[in-house]
Amino acid sequence: MLNYRSFALRKLTSVAPRYLPFADVATPEVPLSRLLRLSLFQVTVGMALVLLVGTLNRVMIVELAVPASIVAIMLAMPLVFAPLRALIGYKSDTHRSALGLRRVPYIWKGTMCQFGGFAIMPFALLVLSGFGEAVDAPRWFGISAAALAFLLVGAGLHMVQTVGLALATDLVHEDDQPKAVGLMYVMLLFGMVASALLFGSLLDPYSPARLIQVIQGAAVVTVTLNLVALWKQEPRDRARAARMDTVQHPPFETALRGMASRPGMLRLLVVIALGTFGYGMADVLLEPYGGQALGLSVADTTKLTALLAGGTLIGFGIASRVLGQGGEPRRVGITGTLIGIPGFAAIIAASFGGGLFAFLAGTILTGVGAGLFGHATLTATMRTAPKGQIGLALGLWGAVQATCAGIAVALAGIVRDIVLMGAGTSATTPYLVVFSIELVTLALAVLVALPMMAGKTYRAKGATNAPHSTGTDQPSVEVT
Amino acid sequence: MSDDPDKVWPTGLTLREAEEVHSYMIDGTRVFGVIALLAHILVAVSTPWLG
Repeated sequence: MLNYRSFALRKLTSVAPRYLPFADVATPEVPLSRLLRLSLFQVTVGMALVLLVGTLNRVMIVELAVPASIVAIMLAMPLVFAPLRALIGYKSDTHRSALGLRRVPYIWKGTMCQFGGFAIMPFALLVLSGFGEAVDAPRWFGISAAALAFLLVGAGLHMVQTVGLALATDLVHEDDQPKAVGLMYVMLLFGMVASALLFGSLLDPYSPARLIQVIQGAAVVTVTLNLVALWKQEPRDRARAARMDTVQHPPFETALRGMASRPGMLRLLVVIALGTFGYGMADVLLEPYGGQALGLSVADTTKLTALLAGGTLIGFGIASRVLGQGGEPRRVGITGTLIGIPGFAAIIAASFGGGLFAFLAGTILTGVGAGLFGHATLTATMRTAPKGQIGLALGLWGAVQATCAGIAVALAGIVRDIVLMGAGTSATTPYLVVFSIELVTLALAVLVALPMMAGKTYRAKGATNAPHSTGTDQPSVEVT
Repeated sequence: MSDDPDKVWPTGLTLREAEEVHSYMIDGTRVFGVIALLAHILVAVSTPWLG
């Protein structure tokens, strides 16, 4: 009997590590395949974003006939959680774990939130729309259930994205960070485009059963992809766990204040806010503008979005290449902002006789600019982040970025509707007002960013890896 | 039970590590339990079963 026991134990211990979700301790080089796998979490984030802002927005208004004001409140729910990204990042930086894990527990918790939100969302929406017997249900019940579902998905996607990006920063050497950032952005874009097409075709003959299948299918896909993404990414580390036990962390407010008072950090955040706001407003208005001002058909305006996404991809590509060869992120970021100004000018000129060519050129230009800007600012944030506060820095970036993008989209619609209500304006005027606001915001961003070019010494020395440090200090075994 | 907190048991985990793994398990069960309960209530409101 004893023999069997020792045999089984020996087998168990020799087989187990292969099937456990922990990385081999601190491999010197993170291969591209592993990075590609990690970036799958961005696909689920993109999917959740498209489902919330795009697909369900339409389904709620058209198929479920939910009042537009309630739909607007639901869509704003994930935004409520965006500023908390800084706190999530800080929490993951200071996490105490006997296993030495820092990021994986939070990605897992975020995944659970996403899954939970998606799991109850279709039923909550059906109750909200008064489907079946739910007509008799009290109004507050459907509203609060749907709000909870949207809040859960929003909280989950913010958590997953913040901590996932922090994990990517942990794993990758500073030389390779532009490559990693490019990969993350491309996967986000891929997730958004692929799921938008997929959800659109799956929901085409709409039925309540189909809605349940699609949303819950999204829930399962989310859990699967996120599990695949975080499998074997973070090492189990007893030494780090022991250090986690003893180390003292400053409280959140102190850490936040310290981060904000780092040279150049506040300015960088303001630039990110202005730039994201400037580029974000166009997202929802390009298609209707193309339709109303230039008389494009629905099929043509859909191609517009593809064109914008293509431009953004080109922007990511250029930024990855330039930054990977040692380019300065701030310079690339300012270039990205500058490109947007003629882009929006061309889009505005399209309705003053510039015609289709000006419009298409403007769309591509803004796409490229947005790609360059997004990539460069994220890379800059990663590089200025001090070792023990990567999560906090990326949380701040995400909080600013997600909040501004959300406000931009909401404000674009509001401004358009307000101007439209004004007496006897032509159909294109509201769009031109919004595009002009974007132009001004981007110009402001450039003005704020310019002083950063003067002082390259802003780059934190000693806090981050030297660009060409050898593999003596592995990021993944550092605690603080 | 050993009192030595650093002893690595045949599972490859120390006591504290095993407890942490267990806590993830418990948390997951609780969260998914609450979600399932909520989903059932919502379905029952829109399409009641058993009566």
